[in-house]
Amino acid sequence: MSTIAVPLAAYQILAGALFTIGVVGVLVRRSALIVFMSIELMLNAVNLSFVAFSRQHGSMDGHIFVFFVMAVAAAEVAIGLAILIAIFRKRETANVDDVHLLKG
Amino acid sequence: MDLATIIEAVVKVLIVLGFVLMGVPLIVWMERKVLGHMQDRIGPERVGPFGLLQTIADGMKLFFKEDMLPAQADKVVFFLAPGLSIVTALVAATVVPWGDTVTLFGREIGLRITDVNIALLFLLGTTSMGVYGIVLGGWASNSKYPLLGGLRSSAQMISYELAQGISLVPIVMITGSLSLSQIGRAQESMWFVVPQFFAFVIFVICAVAETNRAPFDLAEAETELVAGFHTEFSSMKFALYFLSEYANMMVVAGVAITCFLGAWHGPGPIPGVLWFLIKLSLFLFFFIWLRATFPRLRYDQLMGFGWKVLLPASLLNMAVTAVVLVMKG
Amino acid sequence: MTEIILFSLFALTAVTCALGVVFHKNPVHCALLLVAVLLSLAGLFIMLHAQFIAALQVIVYAGAIMVLFLFVLMLLNVRRHEDVLTPGAAKGFGFLFALIVFVELLWVALSPGGGEQGSVGAPAALPQEFGSPAAIGRILYTTWLYPFEITSILLLVAVVGAVLLARRKFVG
Repeated sequence: MSTIAVPLAAYQILAGALFTIGVVGVLVRRSALIVFMSIELMLNAVNLSFVAFSRQHGSMDGHIFVFFVMAVAAAEVAIGLAILIAIFRKRETANVDDVHLLKG
Repeated sequence: MDLATIIEAVVKVLIVLGFVLMGVPLIVWMERKVLGHMQDRIGPERVGPFGLLQTIADGMKLFFKEDMLPAQADKVVFFLAPGLSIVTALVAATVVPWGDTVTLFGREIGLRITDVNIALLFLLGTTSMGVYGIVLGGWASNSKYPLLGGLRSSAQMISYELAQGISLVPIVMITGSLSLSQIGRAQESMWFVVPQFFAFVIFVICAVAETNRAPFDLAEAETELVAGFHTEFSSMKFALYFLSEYANMMVVAGVAITCFLGAWHGPGPIPGVLWFLIKLSLFLFFFIWLRATFPRLRYDQLMGFGWKVLLPASLLNMAVTAVVLVMKG
Repeated sequence: MTEIILFSLFALTAVTCALGVVFHKNPVHCALLLVAVLLSLAGLFIMLHAQFIAALQVIVYAGAIMVLFLFVLMLLNVRRHEDVLTPGAAKGFGFLFALIVFVELLWVALSPGGGEQGSVGAPAALPQEFGSPAAIGRILYTTWLYPFEITSILLLVAVVGAVLLARRKFVG
């Protein structure tokens, strides 16, 4: 593990690819649940980037950021899924295009 | 990595694997015998001495049964789910230490497959992955009772995992380590069940709920849900679920012993491994005893108990322990 | 050598499964593929000496958040085959935009790093305890104590919000 077998750039490219796939998911999928999962994918890509930079610079601040990202993701999922259930009860749909009226 | 290390690793994996897989028929036999006597019957006695071979016979029968696939079941997930269940149970067994180090052929050998420094987190991780086997099994069957069983167990296991994890935190605070062998070693003079009795009680209750055993077996409540999540599983797939339930019991009992009941320590000249086995058998007996004694809880009572009693109690216990530790310096 | 093989393995799994998450029809399969992505990322975290983060990834992400997802999927039973992709021009635009994002990210990743600590070259030597729970705890409860406390408030708000939203009827 002393030599650099896998350079930082490789991790960054992987993170970029995962992030892009997440972006595609948010933009082209219609099911709100899949959009959610794509957002999780993007958050994870960023986490990977953070951890890779942490390793490169030998500083653990990146790990702390990942910790906070996970806390935010957990909060986001709890709220998001609760909203989704509320919408589904009212409209029987999980399609984001069907929810375009800002009234109950 | 030299040859000796590889041989050591392979032997240890084989020992644990063999122990778990051979132990399950024994536990099942013990369960049926103990339950029988507690209910004033004899239990299995025809096959082999004291009915010892009954489980083997049942296993053979399952092996030759037809493997059914429900109509419109999700084929891939239906095959995947039982495998996931048994794999997570066996992987969790890798970090449970069953003794201290011994010197054999001039080598220091730790009596555990691996001694990672985050063993406790690893264990929580694998048990949390264990939920998937049940949830997916319930979903993939495309049938209403399994689905309900899967839903129930996912909610139940998430809820009880929290209290279980937090009940282990005081142990980590006392020993200052997440490694299970370190925790085991720290109990040479006093078992942690003495200073952490409440944590122990919470852990045991959560352990019963995590392994889906009575009185918390809501996921497979036969009076309401036929057989819960594994209603549609037959033949070897059912056997895998069966196996993983008992393997999980062994793992969870191993963790309870390692964290609270003095691991491999015990009075007298009995070797540590034997002490561990004795405690393991007693703990499993306790599991069966619970099943024979308590009626099943209602589902809302179960969730309410987890969130409103166990979780606050474990948090309170953690806070008190922290204060005491700081005051002692 | 082992490192390169492991990296390729995890990276390949992650990208393939991520594509599956976005393009698979069945939402439950999407969730499972996402779990696979999360687990391979946990593997990469371990390779990057972040054991604690890897454990968190498995316990929190794969073990709790994704189970919650599955729970909601099963509760709502979204099985009807709706249009997988958004129809019409929006789809083309979406792919185009994603392509631009990817090219940009690629450009940033491959450009030589500026600043004092370059992002190219040999990684820094690591202290003994790098990535261990003890080391993370030490800086989390000293340097980052304030954000940590705020996070707890965030989680409390999320709990209250989720309970309020998921209730069957709004009172008043």
